[in-house]
Amino acid sequence: MRLRQAAIVSVVVAAVLGTAACSGGSPESTDSAGGGVTELTFWSWVPGVDKAVDLWNSENPDIQVNLEATPAGSSGTYAKIYAALKSGNGAPDLSQVEYQELPGFILENGLVDLGPLGMDDVKDTFSDWQISQSTFNDTIYAVPQASGPMGLYYRADIFDSLGIATPTTWDEYAAAAQTIHDANPSQYINTFPPQNSAWFAALAWQAGANWFGLDGDTWTVDIDSAETLKVAEYWDGLREAGLIATIPDFANEWYSELQNGNIVAWPSAQWGGEIIAGNAPDTAGNWRVAPMPQWDATGDFASANWGGSTTAVLKGTPNAEAAAEFAIWLNSDPESINLLVEGGYGWPATKDALASTALNQPDDFLGGQNANEEVFAESDAAVDVDWGWIPTTAATYTVLNDGFSAAIAGNGTFVDAVKAAQSATIKALEDKGLKARAGQ
Amino acid sequence: MTSTRTRTRLAVFGFLGPFLALFIATIVFPLGYALFQSVTATARSGAFGEGGGTTVFVGLQNYAAALSDPGFISSLGRVVLFAVVQVPLMIVLATALALMLDAASARGVKLFRSAYFLPYGVPGVIASLLWGFLYTPGISPVIDLGKVFGLQLDFLGAETVLWSIANIVIWQYAGYNMLVIVAQLKSIDRDLFEAAAIDGASSWQVITRIKLPLIAPAIVLTTVFTIIGTLQLFAEPLVLKPLSSAITSSYTPNMAAYNQAFTNNNYSLAAAESVLLALVACAFSFGFLKLIGRRQNA
Repeated sequence: MRLRQAAIVSVVVAAVLGTAACSGGSPESTDSAGGGVTELTFWSWVPGVDKAVDLWNSENPDIQVNLEATPAGSSGTYAKIYAALKSGNGAPDLSQVEYQELPGFILENGLVDLGPLGMDDVKDTFSDWQISQSTFNDTIYAVPQASGPMGLYYRADIFDSLGIATPTTWDEYAAAAQTIHDANPSQYINTFPPQNSAWFAALAWQAGANWFGLDGDTWTVDIDSAETLKVAEYWDGLREAGLIATIPDFANEWYSELQNGNIVAWPSAQWGGEIIAGNAPDTAGNWRVAPMPQWDATGDFASANWGGSTTAVLKGTPNAEAAAEFAIWLNSDPESINLLVEGGYGWPATKDALASTALNQPDDFLGGQNANEEVFAESDAAVDVDWGWIPTTAATYTVLNDGFSAAIAGNGTFVDAVKAAQSATIKALEDKGLKARAGQ
Repeated sequence: MTSTRTRTRLAVFGFLGPFLALFIATIVFPLGYALFQSVTATARSGAFGEGGGTTVFVGLQNYAAALSDPGFISSLGRVVLFAVVQVPLMIVLATALALMLDAASARGVKLFRSAYFLPYGVPGVIASLLWGFLYTPGISPVIDLGKVFGLQLDFLGAETVLWSIANIVIWQYAGYNMLVIVAQLKSIDRDLFEAAAIDGASSWQVITRIKLPLIAPAIVLTTVFTIIGTLQLFAEPLVLKPLSSAITSSYTPNMAAYNQAFTNNNYSLAAAESVLLALVACAFSFGFLKLIGRRQNA
């Protein structure tokens, strides 16, 4: 009957139209060639970056930046960018990329060469080691943004009440751990996070290890070096004696322990102060920062970097020049840097950061201590500049995390985890079709 | 007549059309592509692969790599153990709740039915977050209460976290499975109960002789669904991972595949692991159905 045929036809047509509508994408429309506003999409998770972006937008009506606040890179944003690059659409024009992830992006051919787009002219304004970590095959792929020179945050009130002097060496630190835990069995000097091996990498960096290198076209992997094993054995000792907590950091339980004073110290980076202030505000005034404990009391002061990011321009953007211009402005313009410092984004990547920015001032949270001048400037100057990353750093971190978790659960030691990471890292590089070998 | 048959066929395709289109687009095509990806790999040259990356056919190499990874094998063992313990618990609980709601002496049936079903309305990730707060020392009132009685409760430790996850899964899905069984119970002819009452059967005899045999199809259905869902365990351990030191990146096979795809960009290996998990799920489901079929024919 006519009615039934009409019904069938309309159902089929609806199905076809429905499927067609689902498959259409939404391409970003940007107008780059002369006349008209250039629109850039920028993904970042730096706190306070929106203020710097607003400043740029008010001063540059012809290049407007749309900031999208995303979760931290390793919490899914890098995966989104990789997927977008692979599929060819949906990737932003610019993104925040941490140093350890840059080689991974270059492996996937995801970053634009910024040398001819302005970086060749201004690279001397940025710190040398951060330029070196952004450069591969003599090509600069990112604009350094900030780093995390390390220092020891500690509860001065609790240390004073127990008569503990500020530890200057790791041996003194272990002794302090013993005193603290003996006095109160639910108190620990700090936690060894089971799933944050980037922190452990920074400690190995401070001990003089050099995990990764590039020899011609072969990657060198030296994770189980003597320095790293020394660090792993040290923390194994504290763990087996029950002198450290083993709860995850940046998680609710750890924040709760910071609030009630059961965790009393944190070897951390310059951006760590904001984390403590934001999550344990009632402990304001009781924290101080000391230089990182040293392995060798008589040698040169050694420090390391934890974290740190760049701003990179992603391949496939039709507005590479405008994006590069914004990225360089964001990370080198004094007004922009001051806004970012207020948000607590880390240690600026520009040379003379302390003298030329708003870093040099006392911090109420630290009881008036000017930690940036007293501790972090020296720490930044003492960072070993030879450290580099590999295209499969994320896989190394995963293997270390799994190994540390197993050790904490009673299966093996941190030393075993480090040795497992050595062989797993070489295998991960080879699985990607790259050449790798052990050693320096 | 011919025109009727053609019209019937047109009607069939017309009604199946929308479903078939979406089914092929969202299930058949990705499945085929995953199978294709699982037998390929990327070959590169140069330190950064700048010499070019090409997709090459590698046969079963990805499957061999997955099966020789101790983390992946232990994750398969873990979900099988999880299924062996959790599926009977879930089905027994769902059946018990359904039978209680259907009892002649039940009171407030509508209220309890809604209450038991309510957890299913909470999205899986939210449920895991909620239970995560209840499991975290320092925040959980349950752990604080335990301390009052001198108990040191550790829900996120190495021996206990798998069962804490089982708790979340049972809390979420028992109500849903219960509803499936309740629907089957409602369809039992009431005359049978009258006959049983006349014959002097006790309520326990009514349950074992009449109700359970007649709801067996619903129980089989929910068991198969529960097996398949349990082997795919993913959201709960992923959400609890930042809270617990015991959950590794390859705690379950789905997490292992997710890690390979989205942290390591190894799509081919992830595809191989997904296919292996699908095969295990098929084996268990069809094995269970065959077991039931054989017992019915015996």
